[in-house]
Amino acid sequence: MTVETKGGAAATAAAQRLRLLRRPQRPAHLAVVVVFAAFALFALPPLMSLYYTGYMTLVAIYSIVTLGLGLLVGRTGLYSLGQGAVLQIGAWTGARLLFATSQPFPVVVIEAGLVTMGIGTVIGLPALRLRGLYLALITLMLAGAVTVALATVNFPNGGGGFTGYNGTSVHIPPIRRPSIAGTDPAYYRYAVVVALLMFALVYAHLRTRPGRAWAAIRQSEPAALAAGINTTFYKLWAWSLASFITGVAGAMLAGQARYLYSINFSTQDSIILLAVALMGGVYNLWGAVIGALLMQLLPAILQNLGVSYAWLTILFGLGVLQVLTTAPAGIADQFPKDARRLGGLLTRLARARRPGPPRPPAAPPGTPPQAPSRGEAT
Amino acid sequence: MPSWSEFEPFIVSGLALGGVYALSGVGLVVLYRATGVLYLAFGAVGAMGAFIAWAMIQGSVPGWAAWLVCVLFGGLLTLIYGMIFGPPLARRDPLVRAVATLGLTLVLFGAMDLLWPPTGGAVRSISLPTDNGGFTVLGLNVTWTQLIGLGAGVVLTAGTAAFLRFTKLGTAMRAMANDREITATLGVPVRRVEAAAWFGCGILAGIAGLLLADLVQLDATTLTFLVISSLAAALIARLRSIAVTFAAAIVIGLVHDLLTPITALTNYRDMTPFVLAAIALLWVSRHRTVMTRSREEA
Repeated sequence: MTVETKGGAAATAAAQRLRLLRRPQRPAHLAVVVVFAAFALFALPPLMSLYYTGYMTLVAIYSIVTLGLGLLVGRTGLYSLGQGAVLQIGAWTGARLLFATSQPFPVVVIEAGLVTMGIGTVIGLPALRLRGLYLALITLMLAGAVTVALATVNFPNGGGGFTGYNGTSVHIPPIRRPSIAGTDPAYYRYAVVVALLMFALVYAHLRTRPGRAWAAIRQSEPAALAAGINTTFYKLWAWSLASFITGVAGAMLAGQARYLYSINFSTQDSIILLAVALMGGVYNLWGAVIGALLMQLLPAILQNLGVSYAWLTILFGLGVLQVLTTAPAGIADQFPKDARRLGGLLTRLARARRPGPPRPPAAPPGTPPQAPSRGEAT
Repeated sequence: MPSWSEFEPFIVSGLALGGVYALSGVGLVVLYRATGVLYLAFGAVGAMGAFIAWAMIQGSVPGWAAWLVCVLFGGLLTLIYGMIFGPPLARRDPLVRAVATLGLTLVLFGAMDLLWPPTGGAVRSISLPTDNGGFTVLGLNVTWTQLIGLGAGVVLTAGTAAFLRFTKLGTAMRAMANDREITATLGVPVRRVEAAAWFGCGILAGIAGLLLADLVQLDATTLTFLVISSLAAALIARLRSIAVTFAAAIVIGLVHDLLTPITALTNYRDMTPFVLAAIALLWVSRHRTVMTRSREEA
């Protein structure tokens, strides 16, 4: 990428910034991603019981939601407390279209994404005039409103009319799945592929112009404006993209659940979504996967062990406090660092042990408070 | 459209609800102005206090002691949170500080779920002795609890306004709302003033939790998110004016309850605070961008 500005300190600074933003290609990372995707697609399904297959499908779907949230919070600095509601809109639209039409499943998924994107954009257009705290609060309000509205409208269950809900029907037909992915393991693979596509879509955005614009906006909106970035446009773009992928996730969720009930959705979902996204790490795409694992796989494991979900809620609460006070980049950033530190410690211990007499083990490697190094939320 | 007589009882309950929203909203605004923290755990703290009071009453502790514990619990827990998490986050964006209180919300939420799991059918409730007595005004029956709800809203709004205006501590809080650093250089014990604001806000959370547990129902989710309604009132006042907060809270309470008899809208009445706050915020933003970074906010 070349910078076509003439001379001056500003141009140098801009060039430096662009160089900083453009991270070098790392083939090792690509290899890790390919191995991870292959493992999730081929190695995992035969290993898992039906119980865990269902939950891992949810992990794949929710990783799209946390990806969207990470995009908003981590890349653009827009805190949304209403992603749970966006997901509900996507699920509702997806279910409605799957009942109403006989279009192929992928078409419906994309349509649900587009409808959600449209609704998100219409809401985002005025809401993005607000900043920071006020934007977060208005999204929380909208999430509350959507939850209340959908509790009354109900999710489609094969009825007629606009709402597609028939309160008296006895034999509720399940929401259909794609013909190639009727069984649970097949649907799991399908969901993983969709999630991979969404990650690729977001990654492509981050590596190109919009990603750089978002990074500039997150650092300082006035500075981005001064640098000639159309901040409203790019913020709306991030908002719409997040709505689109969350809508896609919603339609996938409809196919996974097969029966949707409004009692399964609540306002606190939106808060827990933000919590796991922050804990996973919003500055890293892996953070989205970690967040989804925390939100969907951990409860499944705990349920298997007979531990109450309430403990998990407490853990998420503590996690949010910990992330915000000491480790703003979340687990995705913290874990490799801690692992490296642990590795270093073990190496030192091993080295120390060889020549000399055995020493008492050092203090357990904890997570020492860390100064926010990069990309602190603004 | 139902007749007027069907609306009448809801005027009273709406005013009472509005009063409690006002009291919560004022607590939120004062804490926000003094410390820059929007205390989203307000409802959860009140709910937890109400649950503790309920458990104590079940254990045949005298009612007044349980209510006192509820209110003090709110104050102390909020104070402890403020003391632990206030300083490390003091220089962060108001948004980050608000999201941190969501962490406390989740912790309390989980704790309530664990200690008092939702019962299938049995409805828990706290009844204050003021439920039984009452009086009639203009043909409307009013219980003392409802009067206390509205009265508490009025008295605390007026009291807080007077406190901020006339006392030394109140003046210090107003000064901190303007500029924390300068206030500190002027010799105001900033941390102590903040502690007072945290404690006061927590006391209000306890009172609101107790009153809402009586007026609405004792349920963790309901109580935690009902106080989003008072947040709506505070937002309509743009987290600044306590007089506007009070008025907005009364309007929200009234509209919410007056929608009850209208069949077409009754299921949607819980949307009232969200919709009103959203409209108000968008209306404000039409005219001027709400800044987060400006001095007035911090």
